[in-house]
Amino acid sequence: MLLLRRTAYRISAMAMRPHSYYPRKVKPSFSSLFSFLFLLPVVAKGQIDFVHQIVPVLKEHCTECHGGEEAKGGFSLNTRELFLDDETAIPGEAEKSYFIELILDSDPDYQMPPEKKARVPKEQVQLLKQWVDEGMKWEPGFTFGEPTYEPPLKPRRPALPQVTDARGNPIDRIIDHYLSENALPRPEPIDDATFLRRVSLDLTGLLPTPDEARNFLSDVSPDKRTQLIEDLLSRDIAYTEHWLTFWNDLLRNDYDGTGFITGGRTQISEWLYDSLKSNKPFDQMVRELVAPQDKSSSGFIDGIKWRGTVSAGQTLPIQFSQSISQSFLGINMKCASCHDSFIDRWTLADAYGLAAIYSEEPLEIHRCDKPIGETASAAWLFPEIGKLDSSKDKAERLRQLAHLMTHPDNGRVPRTIVNRLWGQLMGHGIVHPLDAMQTEPWNEDLLDWLASDFQDNGYDLKRTLRLITNSQAYQSQTTEQKETAEFVYDGPRTKRMTAEAFVDAIWQITGTAPVAYHAPVARGVVPTELTERLSFPSSWVWGSSIDKGPPPNGEQILLRREFTPTKPIRSAGIIAAADNSFVLYLNNKQILSGEKWTDLEAGPILNHLRPKTNRILIVAENRGARPNAAGVFCAVRIEYQDDTEEIIVTDSSWQVTNEIPKDSRPARWKLEDLEWESAKQLGNITWKKQTDPKIGETLATASVGSSRMIRASLLKADDLMRSLGRPNRDQIVTSRPSELTTLEAIDLSTSNVLFENLEKGASAFLAKNLTSTEELVEEIYLTLLTRRPTQGEISILTEILGESPEKGLITDTLWSLTMTPEFLLIR
Amino acid sequence: MHFPIDPNAPETVVRRDFLKKLGAASTAAWMTGTPQLVRGKEIEHPEATADSCILLWMAGGMAAPETFDPKRYAPFENGMAVDSVLSTFPSIDSSVDNIKVCAGMENIAKIMDRGTLIRSVVQPDLGSILHSRHQYHWHTGYVPPQTVACPHLGSWMARVLGPKNPVMPAFINIGQRLEGVGEKEELKAFTTAGFFGSEYGPMNLPFPEQASQSVRPPEGMTAERFANRDKLYRKLLAKSPHREYASDFQQESLIRSMDNAYRLLSSKERKAFDIESEPKEVRDAYDTSRFGRGCLLARRLVENGARFIEVSTEYVPFLHWDTHANGHDTVDRLHKEIDRPVAQLILDLEERGLLDRTLVIVASEFSRDAIMEGKPGSDANDQATHKVDTITESKHYGLHRHFTGGTSVAMFGGGVKKGFLYGKTADERPLVAVENPVSMMDLHATIMTAMGISPKTEFTIEGRPFYVTEDGKGKAVSEIFA
Repeated sequence: MLLLRRTAYRISAMAMRPHSYYPRKVKPSFSSLFSFLFLLPVVAKGQIDFVHQIVPVLKEHCTECHGGEEAKGGFSLNTRELFLDDETAIPGEAEKSYFIELILDSDPDYQMPPEKKARVPKEQVQLLKQWVDEGMKWEPGFTFGEPTYEPPLKPRRPALPQVTDARGNPIDRIIDHYLSENALPRPEPIDDATFLRRVSLDLTGLLPTPDEARNFLSDVSPDKRTQLIEDLLSRDIAYTEHWLTFWNDLLRNDYDGTGFITGGRTQISEWLYDSLKSNKPFDQMVRELVAPQDKSSSGFIDGIKWRGTVSAGQTLPIQFSQSISQSFLGINMKCASCHDSFIDRWTLADAYGLAAIYSEEPLEIHRCDKPIGETASAAWLFPEIGKLDSSKDKAERLRQLAHLMTHPDNGRVPRTIVNRLWGQLMGHGIVHPLDAMQTEPWNEDLLDWLASDFQDNGYDLKRTLRLITNSQAYQSQTTEQKETAEFVYDGPRTKRMTAEAFVDAIWQITGTAPVAYHAPVARGVVPTELTERLSFPSSWVWGSSIDKGPPPNGEQILLRREFTPTKPIRSAGIIAAADNSFVLYLNNKQILSGEKWTDLEAGPILNHLRPKTNRILIVAENRGARPNAAGVFCAVRIEYQDDTEEIIVTDSSWQVTNEIPKDSRPARWKLEDLEWESAKQLGNITWKKQTDPKIGETLATASVGSSRMIRASLLKADDLMRSLGRPNRDQIVTSRPSELTTLEAIDLSTSNVLFENLEKGASAFLAKNLTSTEELVEEIYLTLLTRRPTQGEISILTEILGESPEKGLITDTLWSLTMTPEFLLIR
Repeated sequence: MHFPIDPNAPETVVRRDFLKKLGAASTAAWMTGTPQLVRGKEIEHPEATADSCILLWMAGGMAAPETFDPKRYAPFENGMAVDSVLSTFPSIDSSVDNIKVCAGMENIAKIMDRGTLIRSVVQPDLGSILHSRHQYHWHTGYVPPQTVACPHLGSWMARVLGPKNPVMPAFINIGQRLEGVGEKEELKAFTTAGFFGSEYGPMNLPFPEQASQSVRPPEGMTAERFANRDKLYRKLLAKSPHREYASDFQQESLIRSMDNAYRLLSSKERKAFDIESEPKEVRDAYDTSRFGRGCLLARRLVENGARFIEVSTEYVPFLHWDTHANGHDTVDRLHKEIDRPVAQLILDLEERGLLDRTLVIVASEFSRDAIMEGKPGSDANDQATHKVDTITESKHYGLHRHFTGGTSVAMFGGGVKKGFLYGKTADERPLVAVENPVSMMDLHATIMTAMGISPKTEFTIEGRPFYVTEDGKGKAVSEIFA
C-alpha cells in the first residue's frame, strides 16, 4: 500500500518537472573505468568516494530501470535532487531512506531490484548505507541521464531574420531578433571616442594617437567607422604584433621557457608571424600546423619533450592529442587521456586514437598511468566526415587528419575559431567557456552563421573581425556581468588590457620602447637593403684561456675597445651577446647586459657617444659546472651624416684581461694598471647559427631606429608582464585574467622602471610646448584615454599643475590616469 | 618614513572590509569560469594547529647524513674508498636524548626539543634526477609535467585561508632569484599560483636586504609626493565620467586592488620588510648569508601577520646544496650559513609567543649519498662530477649523488610534538627509510592539516576536480601532532 501511494505521488512530481531540470552538458561514460575501479577495497569510514564506489553499484543494480531515459515507477536517480525526491533517500539517515528499505526488503513484491534480478551484495549495501549516512556526496553536475545537448558537426547556414531599423549587418539581424525574442533591450550605442579606442585596442592592440583621435572625432563622413576598421585591418604589422599574443597563447608558442633550453621544443614564431601578416587562410594554417611541411610550423604538434620520465598522460603523442583537440576543436582531451571523461563524451580510446596518428611506434593505451594491454589504433573523433587510414605512415596520417580538420563538412573547426574571435572582441563567447565547444551556445544561429560565412569565404580571419567590428552589437555599450546561472546576452562585456597591450600603451605614451626584441622574426620595418648589407657573420672573442681548451667555468674577462668618430654622426647603434653573460659599458655607463648566448641585445648609442675617444668595456663570465665554451660578440655601427658608415666588431683589435676591478663603477677603474693582451678570436662556434640570422635586422634597427615601435608581444615575458597575466606557455591557456591583483597593483605603485618611463613621458609632453595647462591636459587625456577631459577634470588638473607644470606633477598625473579602470579596461 | 592613510580619501575606499573584497574576487572567479571551490561538497577542514607557515628551503638537495640524520662518520683519508663514506661529519648530541645531528649544527642541536624530526620522507623515482622536477613535486604535490598549471603550496594556503593580516600578502617568497639563474623557467613553473591566478601568487623578494624596496615608493619619490599622488589618483577617479559604471564588477575589483596596494604601502606593516631597522646585535645573530637575513625577514613578516613564507638558500645549479663535488667543504660552509639563523628564528618566535601557532619546516627536494644515485634499483644517471672509486683529493670527499630513498624534514612549532623523532633510515647503505616511510603526498597532507586545510580540498578546473593532495588521497601523519 505504502509503495503504491508513494509511486503515484512520484509520477505527479515527475510530470511537473520542466525538461530543463536535467543538468546539461554532462554525459557519464564510465563503463570501462568501473570494471577496473570496482576492485578497490572498502575504505575506512568517512571516506566514501561517490564516483568510484557508489556510481558502479547504482549502475550495476539500479540505473537500468531508474536512470537515463528510464524512470520505472516514476522514479529516476539521475541527479541527487531526483534521488532525494519524496524521501527515497534522506542524507544522513540511511535507516530511514526508502531505497535502502526496498533493497533490504525480502518480500518479492516490494524488494528492489525486482525479484528476478540479482540482489545487491551485502558489502555494497553497506557502502550505500555509509554513503547515505555521510550525507550522500554527489559529483557536482553529475547525472546518470543523457546530455540534452550535442553540438552539430556539419556546417549550418541559418536563414537571416528580417532587417529591423535598417540594422543590416547579419550579426545585428540575428542579435536584434534574439533580443526581441527574449524581451531584452538593445544596449545603447557608443560614441565615436569610445569606439575609436575600443576598436584600435581590439584590432591592433595600440592606443589611437592624439592626432588620430582629433581627426576621427572631427570627421563627419557617415562611414568613418567602417573606414577606420579597414584602415586598422590594413596595418599588417600592428595587426600581426597584436594578434601574436592571442595565437601564441592558443598554440603555446614562446621565445623562452621550459623545453626551449634543452632543445625539447621548437618555436613556430616566424611561421606564425608571416601567417598573420599575410592573413593566411585559417584552413591553410591548420593544415600547416597539423601536417607540417617543414620545421617552421612543426613546433605545435611536436609539443614539449620534457626531461626525465613523464606520465602516460604527457607523452608527445598524448600532448598532440590534447593540443589538437583544445586549440582547434574546443575539446578538453586532458580528462580522456587518462580515463573516459566524466564531463563530456570523449573516451580514453578517442584520446589514444588521435595520439596514435602522431605516434611513430605502436602506442599502448594506459588508463590512469597503467597499461591496459591494448594498442591504440589511429582514428579521429568524427568518423562521420571521413576516416583515417591507420595503416599509412605518420606523415600520411597527419596529412589525412589535416584534410579532415579542414573538410567542408567539418563545421566544428570554423565554429571553434570564430567563437574565439567573438570572445576576444565581445568579452564572452557565443559558446563559453571557449574551450568547451560541447556546450550549448546562447545563440546557435549566430555561431553557425558566423562559422559558415567564415568557411564559405576562404577561412578569412580578418573578414570575421571586420564583420563583428562593423556590427551595431560590437558598437554598443558594455553591459555588466550578472550572477545568473544562465548566460543572457545583453551587450558586449568589458575586457581587460592584456599584459602586452598595457606595456605597449606605456611605451606608446612615453616613447620608451626597447630597441631589441626576442621573437626570431623579420618585422620588415627597417630598409631591407640595409638589413641585408648588415647581415654579416658574427665574430667572437675570449681571453687566452681558450689556447688551453675550453675556458674554465667561472672565468671572468674584461674586454676593452676604444674608437673615435671621424665625422659628424647621424645615428649609431650597438649589439652584443655572450656565452654565458655580459655587462657592456659605453663611456662608463651601462648600456646593455645579457644572460643568454643565443640572444642579441641591442640599443641605440647616439646619445652616449662623445666626439673624441669613446670606450667600450665588456665584463663577461663563463658559467657551468665544468670548463666549457665561452665567447663574446659585439658590433657597433655608426652612420655618418655624409652617408658613410663605420662598423666595429669584436676581433683581435680588442684588448682583454682577467683582472676584473672590484668597484661597481667603471669610472673608478684604473684600467692602465691592468695587464692587457689582445683578445683571441674564436673559430667556428655552434651558437652562431642562432645569432647570425638576426644580426642584420637588429643592428639596422639599433643604428637607424625604426618607424615602428617594438611591441611587447615580441619580447620574452618579464616580471611585469607575468604579473599582469601573461601565461607561462607550457600549457595552452586561451583566456587571460580579467582582474588586476593586489600584487600587480603593488608592482605598478612601486616600480622604478614604470616611474622612470613615465618621467620620460612627462618630459615628452613638456617638449610639445603647448600654450596652456588646459591644452596640456587635453593632450594627455587624448593620448591616454582617447577623449577630451571634462570640465571637472580640467579644473582639478589646472589647479594641481598650475600655470607652468613641472615634470614631477605631470609624471604623477600620467601614473594616476594609467591606473584608472578607464585606462586599464577596454570598453 | 610612514605614510598614514589619506584622511581625505573617500571613506568607502578606506574602510571597506578586505575579506569582503576577497569574497568579491571569488565571485568573479565563479563568473568567469576560473577555478572554483567545489560546492555542494561539504569539506570538513581539520582544526588548524598553526596560523602561519615558514618553509626553510634547502635548495639543491640537502644530504640528510650531513645534517639531521648522521651515519657512521668517515673522516677524510687520502686513498679511502668512496663507498666507505656515509657521513663526512661526526655526530653531536642534541637537546633530545634519541636525536643526534651533525657537527656544525650546534645551535640547531639545542632547539631540537622544540619540534619533530621526520627522518623517513621518501621521494618517488622520477627517472633522471632533476632538481626542478623534484622541487616542483615538493612545492605543488604533483609530478611535472601536468596538463594544468599547479599551484604552489603557498598559493593553496593563500587561496583557501586568505591572508592572516589583510594588508600582508599571503604568500611571500624570499631568497630565490627567478631571473639570471640556471633553470629559471623551471623554477617559475612551480613558483606560481598556477590556475588560481596571480592574486594568490607569491610576492617574490629574492634579496632580503632589498625587500623594503618592494613596498616603498619608486626611487626618488618622497613619502609626501607618494601620498599626494594617491590623492590625485583618487580625485581623478572620482571625477571620471566612467564612474557611472560604479557597480561594474571589474572596475570595482581593480580599484580595490589599487586600494589594497596603497594600504600595504602606507601601513605600519610595511616596516616589517625593512630588516635594517633591527638592532645591530639582532641583525648580527642572523647575518650569516642572504639565507640568514631571509630568516630575519621571515620572522618580522610573521610578527606582522604573514600567512606563508618560503625562505630559500637559493637554487642555482651546482651551487649551495647542489654538491656535485667538494661536498664536505661546501656543507661545512652551509652549516655555518643555516645553523645560527634557523635556531635564532625558532627562539625568537618562541620568545614572542608565536612559535605555537607558526609551523616552521626545514626541508629539501631530496637527500644525497656518496655513491648511490636515485634509490636502490633506480636507473638514474650518475651525475657526480668526479667518478672515482678512491678518494685522493678533498674535492672527491662528500655526498655527490642525489638520493631519494630516505630524507629528513624538521618541523618546529605549529602544533607538532616537541622533541619527537619519527621514522628511521637504515644504518648502512642503502640509507633508505626503514620505519614509517612518509610519502610526499602524506607530508603535504600533514602540512595542510596543521594549517587547517583538509587534504581532500578540491577545486574544479577545466571541468575536473583538482585536489590539494593528489586525488585527495594524502593522509596526515597524525603521530607527529601534539
